Amino acid sequence: MRGFLERLLRMDRRWIFLFVLLSVAIPIVVPLGLPVTTTESTRKAFEFIEAMKPGDTVLISFDYGPSSAPENDPMAEAVMRQCAIKKLRFVVIALYPLGGLNLANNVVAKIAAEFPDLKYGVDYVNLGYKDGASAVMRRMGDDIAGAFPTDEAGTPLSQIPLMKGIASLRQVQLVFTAATGIIGEWWITQVHPQAGTPIIIGPTAVSAPKYYAFLNSGQLEGMLGGMKGAAEYEKLMRAAHPEMERFYASTRAFTATKGMDGQTVMHTVVLLFILLGNLAFFLSQKKAVR
Amino acid sequence: MTSEFGQVALVLCFAIVPIIGIVLGLNAPGLRSRGPVLVGVVAGIIPILAMYIPKGFVSGPEGMGPRLDNWLIILAGFALLLGIVNVLQNNFKKIARRDSGWFFSVVLLIGLFVTGGFGVYGALSKVGIGFNPDGSPTPFKYMTDWFFQPLQSTIFALLAFFMASAAFRAFRARNVEATILLVAAGLVMLGRVPILEFLAVPFPFLHAAASSGSQALGKLTEWIMDVPNGAAQSGIIIGAALGAASMAIRVILGIERGYLGLGKGE
Repeated sequence: MRGFLERLLRMDRRWIFLFVLLSVAIPIVVPLGLPVTTTESTRKAFEFIEAMKPGDTVLISFDYGPSSAPENDPMAEAVMRQCAIKKLRFVVIALYPLGGLNLANNVVAKIAAEFPDLKYGVDYVNLGYKDGASAVMRRMGDDIAGAFPTDEAGTPLSQIPLMKGIASLRQVQLVFTAATGIIGEWWITQVHPQAGTPIIIGPTAVSAPKYYAFLNSGQLEGMLGGMKGAAEYEKLMRAAHPEMERFYASTRAFTATKGMDGQTVMHTVVLLFILLGNLAFFLSQKKAVR
Repeated sequence: MTSEFGQVALVLCFAIVPIIGIVLGLNAPGLRSRGPVLVGVVAGIIPILAMYIPKGFVSGPEGMGPRLDNWLIILAGFALLLGIVNVLQNNFKKIARRDSGWFFSVVLLIGLFVTGGFGVYGALSKVGIGFNPDGSPTPFKYMTDWFFQPLQSTIFALLAFFMASAAFRAFRARNVEATILLVAAGLVMLGRVPILEFLAVPFPFLHAAASSGSQALGKLTEWIMDVPNGAAQSGIIIGAALGAASMAIRVILGIERGYLGLGKGE
């Protein structure tokens, strides 16, 4: 046993890489359909949007890039679908410089194709990307047109029916930010105290721990923490709106629920490696003491 | 006082005073830092005043505060330009010297010029960087969809491999602190995913026990994240905010001058 563990400690790391590859790839190709349990922070986010009235406006900010898209894309899609089904109007912006706009365009195009009844400029609008995230947020708190004079296609905001009556973030009923890095935090620290607009965040799993402090202080209405949060949201959506099943039942499309299968196997493999590594470490320590 | 006063005050503070400072600085190097410090002081004070003074010339829609926010957005654009200039300088130097890995600099610069060129073309042709009028992707969008996005995703995905390898080699219970960290991390990793259900897949008689065990672990994980983690995060955030506030006060009072990039004695 000891000999095996010592050999394990000297194992070529390419074996670990192979295990990681297989543990992520196999569940994506062959979904396991493992159950997802929901947490309070995700339920609060879901229920907040469920309680909104038709015609209310949600600002959806794409504050992430391709590096975290598998985590953040499903969140943005789920929230946008919920807006569409609840007849909420949504304004899309992107503040992340490394590809945020492209991801926003892709998700908007996908949702517009899924809900052909949605009218651009009436039910939703895409304002595009603006550099200088925190300054843009501050400006939007007073005057959205000051930060985004036109939409992504170059149409002045004054000519967009949806934007009539929405001069600043004070007239927006919710900000949802799918975020990586610091930009999500700025919505809470810069916009919420000044404009009073409720905030829901969808951070990557690695930055989610930070936001528990804001949840506890009541500065956040809810949170979708990483891919698990997105999978929980998908579960809540499917339960509350059975018609959503068509978007999540497909075996071809990537969903957070499917991604969680890979993450579960991956966590198992990593925990196993940590356990074996520690076992081998203790045995080698014991031997050294003798 | 009207908004125009605010406009004049801003122009005075951010244009005329710095120009005077530069002119004076040419003859008297000792004065070189005074102008930028003054600009820093005013730029730091105006947003604070705008929060507390409900007067049009400070916090009104055309007042100094919102105007400064607009300028900040423009400045952020220039910061991007500064970054591009820096990338060009460094990589051209590397290629000229034939430093190790100079070929990667060539690839980087080609990527920069081609992608940037498509972006500028999109702006000049008024088509933008998304889709053409016929619904086909613009060259810029093609580049981002088929080059930039897969490359960024690949680089980030590599982390999973190195993280697993590092966890195996370095995550050891060497002392009490490391053991606490290891146990907490293990519990959170277990509780965030349905690991027990996964392990119970081949054993149907264990499914019910695995499900209730998984829920209990989930609750424990939520408690760890909510209470000890939430409290620690609050402390870190408040501490960092106090540090940032004290640094801001030092800049506003002109005590902190490191951002000027001047040598000693200036």
